Amino acid sequence: MALATAHHEAAHAPAHNHLAINRAGLWLFFFSETILFGLLLSARFYLEGIHREELNQALGLLITVILLLSSVTAYTAETAIEHDNKKVASWYLFFTIVLGLIFAGGVAYEWSIAHFHRSESFGSIFFTMTGIHATHVITGVFMLILVWAQALRGRYSSKNPWAVSAVVMYWHFVDVVWVFYYPALYLTK
Amino acid sequence: MYAVKSVAGAMGLGLIGFYLGLGIVAVLRWLFGYPDPWGGEINIIGGWVLGVFLWLMGIGMWGMWGREWFGLKTYQRNLPGWQRYFTFNTDHKVIGIQYLVTFMVVFFLAGALAMLMRAELAQSGNQFLSNSQYNGTMGLHGILMVAVAVAAVIGGIGNYAVPLMIGAQDMAFPRLNALTFWLVPPVAVGLLATPFLGGIEHGWTAYPPLSVFTNSSQVLFSLSIITFGLTSILGALNFIVTIIYMRAPGLTWGRLPIFVWSMFATSWIALLYTQGFAAALLLILLDRLGFSFFEASTGGDPLLYQHVFWFYSHPAVYIMVLPGFGLALEIIAHFSRKPLFAYKYAVAAFLGILGLSGVVWAHHMFTSGMPNYLHGPFLVATELISIPTGLIFLSALGTIWLGRLWLKPPMLFALAVIFNFACGGVTGIFLADVPTDIHLQDTYFVVAHFHYTIVGGEIFALFAAIYYYFPKMTGRMYSERLAKLHFWWMFIGFNATFFLMHLPGIKGMNRRIADFQSELDPLNLTISLAAFLLGASFLVFIWNMVYSWVRGPVAEANPWQVRTLEWQTTSPPPHENFPAPPVVRGGPYDYGVPGSIHATFPSAPSAGFAGAPAGGGQ
Amino acid sequence: MHGKHLISVALLWAGLTAVGELLVFADLFPTVGSHEAEDFDSIFRFLLILGIPVFTFVIAVVTYAALTWRIRGEAPDGDGPPIRGHGWIPRIWLAITAGLAIFVMIHPGLTGLAKLQSSATAYGWGKEEADLEINVTAFMWQWTFDYPDGTQVSVSKGGEVVIPVDKYVKFNVNSIDVVHSLWIPAFRMKIDAVPGRTTFMTVHPTRLGDYREDQSYRVQCAELCGLDHGKMWLPVRVVTESEFEAWLASLKPQGN
Ligand code: HEA
Ligand code: HEA
Ligand code: CUA
Ligand SMILES: [Cu+2]
Repeated sequence: MALATAHHEAAHAPAHNHLAINRAGLWLFFFSETILFGLLLSARFYLEGIHREELNQALGLLITVILLLSSVTAYTAETAIEHDNKKVASWYLFFTIVLGLIFAGGVAYEWSIAHFHRSESFGSIFFTMTGIHATHVITGVFMLILVWAQALRGRYSSKNPWAVSAVVMYWHFVDVVWVFYYPALYLTK
Repeated sequence: MYAVKSVAGAMGLGLIGFYLGLGIVAVLRWLFGYPDPWGGEINIIGGWVLGVFLWLMGIGMWGMWGREWFGLKTYQRNLPGWQRYFTFNTDHKVIGIQYLVTFMVVFFLAGALAMLMRAELAQSGNQFLSNSQYNGTMGLHGILMVAVAVAAVIGGIGNYAVPLMIGAQDMAFPRLNALTFWLVPPVAVGLLATPFLGGIEHGWTAYPPLSVFTNSSQVLFSLSIITFGLTSILGALNFIVTIIYMRAPGLTWGRLPIFVWSMFATSWIALLYTQGFAAALLLILLDRLGFSFFEASTGGDPLLYQHVFWFYSHPAVYIMVLPGFGLALEIIAHFSRKPLFAYKYAVAAFLGILGLSGVVWAHHMFTSGMPNYLHGPFLVATELISIPTGLIFLSALGTIWLGRLWLKPPMLFALAVIFNFACGGVTGIFLADVPTDIHLQDTYFVVAHFHYTIVGGEIFALFAAIYYYFPKMTGRMYSERLAKLHFWWMFIGFNATFFLMHLPGIKGMNRRIADFQSELDPLNLTISLAAFLLGASFLVFIWNMVYSWVRGPVAEANPWQVRTLEWQTTSPPPHENFPAPPVVRGGPYDYGVPGSIHATFPSAPSAGFAGAPAGGGQ
Repeated sequence: MHGKHLISVALLWAGLTAVGELLVFADLFPTVGSHEAEDFDSIFRFLLILGIPVFTFVIAVVTYAALTWRIRGEAPDGDGPPIRGHGWIPRIWLAITAGLAIFVMIHPGLTGLAKLQSSATAYGWGKEEADLEINVTAFMWQWTFDYPDGTQVSVSKGGEVVIPVDKYVKFNVNSIDVVHSLWIPAFRMKIDAVPGRTTFMTVHPTRLGDYREDQSYRVQCAELCGLDHGKMWLPVRVVTESEFEAWLASLKPQGN
């Protein structure tokens, strides 16, 4: 029984670099996820048209701004790694995690003060859309924490940036989804 | 035995995870002050999620993957012989065989359920199945077979053959590939456990509100399907990246074997639409937990489900059949010893079907009470699909024309695909036509149509592929006489069963019933007898396969004298497929073109390697 | 070299088609009980007439090729001619199949749909004046048929549905639990009963009929609705107008 050591993804790609392969995989994953989010968005308009219930507008705007901001910090972390600026990268990963957690907390608070119930159709829509999105945010936070822990130990560099850029790309994706969800949930009349 | 220990351990972990999940949800419910912390289906959901996760970790994902997330060194166990089939093995050939064997077993189980249904349907009235048992049997048959149809060819044949055909050493993401396979056992366990929670009452389509009101086996059904959807999506992603990035030098898009093209188109469909199935069942789960997507009295709408569901499940029929077409064309070209006729049109057909597949779903809803302005557009879009599908037939018929048809078992099955699907496709037109569908919807005419397309089109192609690749996979040869016996037996049994099935449909026999109008007794008895004939044919197959795998004569590297790359290496191929990376020099089907060559192995060790340079049979 | 084969295949095709078209004359359909049934049968036959040649063409080529060009030896003794299928053959095929597809799409397809949606025997728009409107409620696993004019008659298990011949009968369909579907095979008409919305279908029975003589006269649930879905059907009787009035009257005393 042989115990071979580290086995790399795409170890044998002929003459192509692994980065392109990994990146393509990630993009395909985003395509697929887009359909899921798109279906929920369509369901929202199918069931409710543009009707919506009253929501805490200030809170909605605030968490949206926070999520957008977290994309900026994530981006900063990624560029920092590409310039081998490991310290900055770790810090900005950390900021992103914090902002992500604040966003998730905001959603949870919104849930707790919502005056509609899941058994009404707007409630179904609202809790499902924000819930699935928040699940993605939390997953992203988990991955950010794993990457951050490695970054603190200096594992990433301009030669080995993939894990950081992957998690940052994912983070941007989740952010873009919210850019569609926020107006669909908060801004229709 | 390491393999036994590892599987048993992973199962143990999975079970622990399941109960842990139940418990965690219970504690949370208790903390939030719900009256009955243990009573909810949400406990099962929590158990499922944690159970599947720990099962995966136990089976080897932790060692090969999870450790990396924490900056630890990963390791892989390379076990010898049969044991590698029971570990988290990343070799695409191992995974292909794992898929194939698993889904053949599922196919036989689901087929046995079909026999049970046909026995009940041999006569009107309830003989030995109660209505609820019949519903459970029917639903389980349907969903298991759909799983077989979605995964057996793609996961089995696709995994095995695609990297070989494109001259790669493995898939682009080998660990992801292993993950997709090891997600399947929980799915199988989940579905097979449904009879113990009351049985699936709602068929494979799970329309609400029925699926919201019905017993708790629904939860297992939904969770299994969502998990299955995940494997489909990840597998599709892997194929697309592999086909784009891992082709051998010189293997341009215009030289790609047609089966690879079909897998490419199929993978896009699976990647883009499978989310619909998962989303639909997720919403059902939520409704069962008190949401109201489909509850009309609080603003929901049952038709929403049908739209989301068919948004996936119509494209899913092309996920089933396109690889079947690809295999049929592939085999027909090699066994006619001619270039594939109208190759570019065939490729265009696959891409055309890919393009149209997403805009026809509501033809399953013509009688659903959806708004009337939708009927026309969906009728038109649906019937448009016959144009690209027709091109597949052009390619097949043109290839056999003036060919030198070598009627080996794979070729017989491949020709049968063309034969059967012509019937299944034409009956599709009757259904796509709104005025006729209004009567035919939900009758045995539909049942006949989809068995002709799925069984006649895809399952026949699956058997073609099994007989084609058996020597490559096992290194042994099967009995050709038994294989031909199986073919004729199955072909006749199949056509007798399902051709006749159109008739009760037109006469007014609806689907999904254990008891029917007595005037249809003679017809149904005949169909049942034909179905038993069909079922018995598989005994020949099983015997032939099992015996030959153990005792069969040793196979040559290239018994069919074929030109494509998978046949230019040993049977079975070595760990990384080729002794030296192939370089492609010409098309895969240039039979009869003097001096043509498909591929060479420039740096191959000169002595003793079968089939290099790869000209195939001249 | 092509010529001989082409002629043989054409003959085979013609022969198979001739045999296949006999299906058109077969006794395929349930009783023709309404105008809609006439339309259905003629469209179905028309598609059969067109579809059978498509099917037999494929079969003719496959069987002919398998019989004529098979290799009899143990291994192929050479390759076929390297015909690639560029040029006019694929284009002609494309033109013919596209033409055929667009033809069926327009002719029995859209024209049939238009007739269905515009004629008085409507499926769908349902705006027409009907001679008799019946409110149908489906629930697990029974039906209720409420007749108009205060004579509200509930027909559920053990009862039968009676409607007059030669009248436009409109069913307004509802469900109170899960999705069911109202289907009367003799009329070839079907519409789902969906909770939360009212669907309708109109039929125009053209002949008398009775379930006891003819099993296609029945209301059948045609959407899986759980345990007793298979038992969710009721006999239908189509009677003359006077018999219908008499039937309604006879039910009045017991009705509520
Ligand atoms: C592999 C699976 C598969 C495939 C490939 C197809 C292919 C097609 N199907 Fe089928 N279908 C199913 C599996 C499949 N189907 C299943 C499982 C169901 C039932 C689901 C359920 O309710 O449980 C179903 C149900 C179904 C319905 C709904 C019936 C109902 O419930 O009321 C309809 C309606 O339009 C339909 C139509 C078609 C059409 C038009 C095609 C076309 O793609 C066919 C095109 C092919 C040809 C036409 C033949 C070849 C072409 C030529 C030789 C060229 C010349 C021909 C012409 C110009 C006509 N199918
Ligand atoms: C891949 C898809 C697939 C395949 C291969 C089949 C194969 C068969 N199917 Fe099925 N079928 C479906 C997909 C498929 N089906 C679907 C999706 C439905 C709809 C469900 C729904 O409405 O929700 C359906 C529904 C369906 C019905 C309608 C039920 C109803 O509406 O009430 C019937 C009825 O006759 C039927 C019959 C058969 C038969 C006789 C076979 C035969 O071809 C089977 C032959 C195979 C065997 C008989 C196996 C032989 C095994 C042995 C000899 C060994 C036994 C061994 C062990 C026990 C290990 N099927
Ligand atoms: Cu009601 Cu089926
Ligand atoms: Cu479809």
